[in-house]
Amino acid sequence: MVSKKHRFVVGKLGLDSHDNGLRIISKWLMDSGYEVVYAGLYNTTRRLVQMALQEDANAIGISSLGGEHLYYAAELLEELKENDMGHVKVIMGGVIPPADVEELKGLGVNAVFTPGTMRDKILKDIDTLFK
Amino acid sequence: MPLQTQSEKMSSYLDGERVPHYRSLSGIEYKEVYRQSDWDGELSDPGSYPFTRGIHKDMYRGRLWTRRQQSGFGSPEESNERIKYLLKVGQTGINMDTDVGTKLGLDPDYPLARADVGLQGTSLCTYEDMRALYKDIPLDQVSSTLIVQPPYSAVIMSQYLLLAKERGVPWDKLIGTIMNCALTQFVGPTFQSATSFFPIDLTVKIGLDVMEYLIPHSPRWNIVNINAYNVRETGVNAIQEAAFSISLAADYIKGLMKRGLDVDSFARRMAFFSAAHMDLFEEIAKLRAMRRIWARMLKEKFGAREEKSLWFRTAIQTAALPLTAQQPLNNIVRATLQTLAAVLAGTQSIHTTGYDEAYSLPTEESHKLSIRTQQIIAYESKVVNSADPLGGSYLVENLTDEIEERILGLMKIIDDKGGFIRCFKEGWVEEQINQARYKLAEATQSGKQPVVGVNIFQEEDEEVKIDIFRHSSDMQAKRIQYVQDYRKNRNKEPVQRALDKIYNLTRKKPEVNFMEAIMEAVDARATIQEICDVMRRASNFDIPE
Repeated sequence: MVSKKHRFVVGKLGLDSHDNGLRIISKWLMDSGYEVVYAGLYNTTRRLVQMALQEDANAIGISSLGGEHLYYAAELLEELKENDMGHVKVIMGGVIPPADVEELKGLGVNAVFTPGTMRDKILKDIDTLFK
Repeated sequence: MPLQTQSEKMSSYLDGERVPHYRSLSGIEYKEVYRQSDWDGELSDPGSYPFTRGIHKDMYRGRLWTRRQQSGFGSPEESNERIKYLLKVGQTGINMDTDVGTKLGLDPDYPLARADVGLQGTSLCTYEDMRALYKDIPLDQVSSTLIVQPPYSAVIMSQYLLLAKERGVPWDKLIGTIMNCALTQFVGPTFQSATSFFPIDLTVKIGLDVMEYLIPHSPRWNIVNINAYNVRETGVNAIQEAAFSISLAADYIKGLMKRGLDVDSFARRMAFFSAAHMDLFEEIAKLRAMRRIWARMLKEKFGAREEKSLWFRTAIQTAALPLTAQQPLNNIVRATLQTLAAVLAGTQSIHTTGYDEAYSLPTEESHKLSIRTQQIIAYESKVVNSADPLGGSYLVENLTDEIEERILGLMKIIDDKGGFIRCFKEGWVEEQINQARYKLAEATQSGKQPVVGVNIFQEEDEEVKIDIFRHSSDMQAKRIQYVQDYRKNRNKEPVQRALDKIYNLTRKKPEVNFMEAIMEAVDARATIQEICDVMRRASNFDIPE
């Protein structure tokens, strides 16, 4: 395990409270050498962006299981742009229909992981984003 | 890291295909064969104490289980359409899910709630919403489960009771259930979800208020469904699901007895909502063990004397956690096996989870398929012909005993720590859940827990073809506009008076049952958030913005 010194802010937006994935992904990221700032539930996009700014994070990880992914992805990317933080990667995961995966990527989300994606693939894809 | 290379796979076929181990999902080692020496006990008949074999003598000969698919999305009007569709294709009970905002006591226009309006259930913030939801549905003929937890359950129950009153349906004719489980309803007993929007002690108190109020006023209504299912969906095992939920039920019983209620006046109106996971025999054994533990606990610990107080009644939902986004049609097979487990275990009602669970809410077609799955098991498979068909099987009885012992062991640990609610508040439950989640994830990653399509028999570059449920595009904006207009266009004075009363009760008389005051506020046309906000304010409690 190499320390990658990359820092994630990881959280959920709005009211969706399913946090299984958030917990597990956070642990996997930490186990593989990333630093994780765990923002937990009930965040606004503004709050996550502020956290990313204060913590000098390189990435924001969002988990979404309630169908609100498109709404919040657009808002989050806009918020990052306004704060001149286009370098911060945005990674999403959760219950996201295939057509929406493409739409999210079109909006500028760097990677999207749907249920059942194996850990090694997730970490490999994330590592690649930072190369 | 692939689990096996292709050539390893091929050679394993040549050697004879084997599963990786013989442990149950909770870690019990199955034996190669079970013999009389593994179980040589005595069993009482179905319908006899301690009800291991079921709570009725004739089980499904007397009456099939209720087909109760959860539904609810968008506006109450849209959900009303879906309910009617489900009843048309053979659903026999209503199972109404509310959206996250409703479940957290927020109106659709609360900024943090806006994006979630109507997504995971239907939005019910006013009395008129309940009226729209139940349009043309006879309240005294169909049983309903209302999926919402305290304190919001007090508001939703009030809406329902007031609707019955308006329609002239006497409350003692109402049949159904308010979930009303303070700690485990929302997304299972995770700490942040159960403590962020309302003070936890007041949540528990109002849950008991709802129960206490319903017992005399609506005697056929179930006052609580202890939500074991959502406990399980966090990733814990069958033993933990059972021990956590029965321990929580024991706390509710103690709370009601402390208010001076006789256990026989309410125990028959308490029911459970449990999971059926993939380990067929373990799930069946779990429910048989839960029935026995419940009967003994009610009789020996709480002194119940009436037989119905000893009945462990449970609704089942087939577990969503093992369903996969990969090869989604496989989920139909999984749900069928889980539904079979629920039937073989002798449940009272079933929700068969849709195969599209990993993508969206169920489409109409997926909803119908879930009902058809149950109908095929009920009418074609013949498994309903005899009560407790697996009773006396060496394996099932041995496993029932083993699981019962493990559940009781864990319940003892919880009891020694001061009960489930205390364990929750002190973070012990959260710790157990997180450990279980990591362990489960690890088992899937390592292949110890094989999942077809995910860690074995994967299809590279699989292209999923699946119809997805889509919400109507202007639904959220309409709901936001609706509640804003609603607040403007009503008589404000009675609303304020009713809200002031709740405020004063919360501050000065927390020992009083809040149910009547909350019902008055709903009747005066207060919204769900207005009612919750006064109680929050009276408790100096801030919510996430």
